[in-house]
Amino acid sequence: MPIIENISNCGAEVIFSDISVNIAGVHILDKINATVPKGECTAIVGPNGAGKTTLLMTLLNEIPYTGTVTIASYEHGPKHRIGYVPQRLSFDRGMPLTVLDFMIMDAQIRPLWLGKNKKAVAKALEILAQLHAEKLANRKIGALSGGELQRVLLALALQQKPELLILDEPAAGVDFKGEYIFCELLEKMRKQMGFTQLMISHDLPTVTHHATKVICLNRKVIAQGSPKETLTHENLTAMFGIHMGMIDLKALPNNDKICNESCCKHG
Amino acid sequence: MKVAVNMVDLTPIFSAIQSVFPFECMQFNFMQQAMFAILLLAPMAASMGIQVVNFRMAFFADAISHSAFAGVAIGLLFGINPQFSMPVFGLIVGLSIMAMQRKSSLSSDTVIGVVFSAVIAFGLAVVSRDPSSATNIQQFLYGDILTIGKTNINLLIILFVLLMTFQTWGYNQMLYIGLNPSLATAHRVKVALFQYIYAGLLSVVIIFSVWAVGVLLVTALLIVPAAAARNLSRSAGAMFWWAIIISITSASSGLIISAQDWAGTATGATIILCCFCWFVLSFIIALLRGESKK
Repeated sequence: MPIIENISNCGAEVIFSDISVNIAGVHILDKINATVPKGECTAIVGPNGAGKTTLLMTLLNEIPYTGTVTIASYEHGPKHRIGYVPQRLSFDRGMPLTVLDFMIMDAQIRPLWLGKNKKAVAKALEILAQLHAEKLANRKIGALSGGELQRVLLALALQQKPELLILDEPAAGVDFKGEYIFCELLEKMRKQMGFTQLMISHDLPTVTHHATKVICLNRKVIAQGSPKETLTHENLTAMFGIHMGMIDLKALPNNDKICNESCCKHG
Repeated sequence: MKVAVNMVDLTPIFSAIQSVFPFECMQFNFMQQAMFAILLLAPMAASMGIQVVNFRMAFFADAISHSAFAGVAIGLLFGINPQFSMPVFGLIVGLSIMAMQRKSSLSSDTVIGVVFSAVIAFGLAVVSRDPSSATNIQQFLYGDILTIGKTNINLLIILFVLLMTFQTWGYNQMLYIGLNPSLATAHRVKVALFQYIYAGLLSVVIIFSVWAVGVLLVTALLIVPAAAARNLSRSAGAMFWWAIIISITSASSGLIISAQDWAGTATGATIILCCFCWFVLSFIIALLRGESKK
């Protein structure tokens, strides 16, 4: 179980201490020590099979692990609120479930077969509108495109009023434009709602533009810190073997916490 | 408990059934009882069937229904009334499968397959030891709603109340879990609690259904109304109501048709055939809407 105690004073939202995961004798994660700073955007990068999703699963308490995950507690309640946007939602696409049903099933206790609460509908539509997804409200969830589904999943996660937003490969299966729009929206919402963002990303340009902290992972922590400190030639080689030179280190922002891209204006 | 259960006077309900269904066959008390029982059981099975379809649990339902056979065998072996040993054994099997599915790295159909064959083998072993007990197989295979007694009807009423309470309290959460359990857990849905309660209630409903329509058709009573409802509805709320409507109309018309002289068919089979007509209709409607592949 994640231990919840007051760690907000030291500026960390999540602390992973000595996290190890062993599945069928294979070391998936080996003594991970990492922190996720509060209110910032932290990216976990690493090759396939590096244990990125596994690390998130320890945070969500979905798999057995050794070590401790400490999540900050907050003044307005002992329970932390997590919003989660999974990588690919594997679900039954034939389910007769509209986007609005999907949002409401989470927001009201009354069963959907006894109708929808007007307040819950208004609130869901408001969140969808913020993510430019209000037109999707009456569409079947199985009929959405990859990018549309990502926005709806983000809307559901934001409906939790999260203190911590976890995203697993938010841009997977989305084209460049879709990804740009998604990142822009995410950045806007983060500034507005003030949550901590923790995301896995394969896409190093996205990471360099959006993350304020990077955790380089390949079964153990290779490096952690600002993008400029961590995404070095040595670390990328250690993680990916031969890397494709996709990161232009000179193009990285000088100040670790400021990115000047239009989609990423940190306040 | 038994005293309290027997205190419920069902006569007004039976007279109401007689006036709603003004058929000659409905004059008989056993037919009124059978109609009331099937009108309780069919919507229960259909509403649980929504989740069976959403979770793809048809094989789970099969394993539980076949455990009814082993439940009867246990009753015979230890001299317990099968009406008691069947639901209790079904409940144990259902909860065990759910626990094994949650803990084991084996795929769920493998876990169910193992339990399925074990309960069948156990039932056959007991029957082969004492061939006279094989007479129970007929009822196990085809069901017999017409022999239902008042105590059983009272038990069905209690189960109906429990189950509808669950479907009111847990419908949204069950949808969430059906969609993606990890997402539901992250967003603070008590996944394990709901899965166990659901497996327990489903097991008991299945055992009662075995006794109404027989083991061969029990899965149909669960999934055919839900599958037809899925074809007809565009929202999660509508799916529930369609499943209820389809099950009630099929159950009542199936019972009445089976009692007609020109039909003379087994009740369980006739009910399922009525459900299937609904399914064909819903499938055509879905095709016309162009939604069949979505």
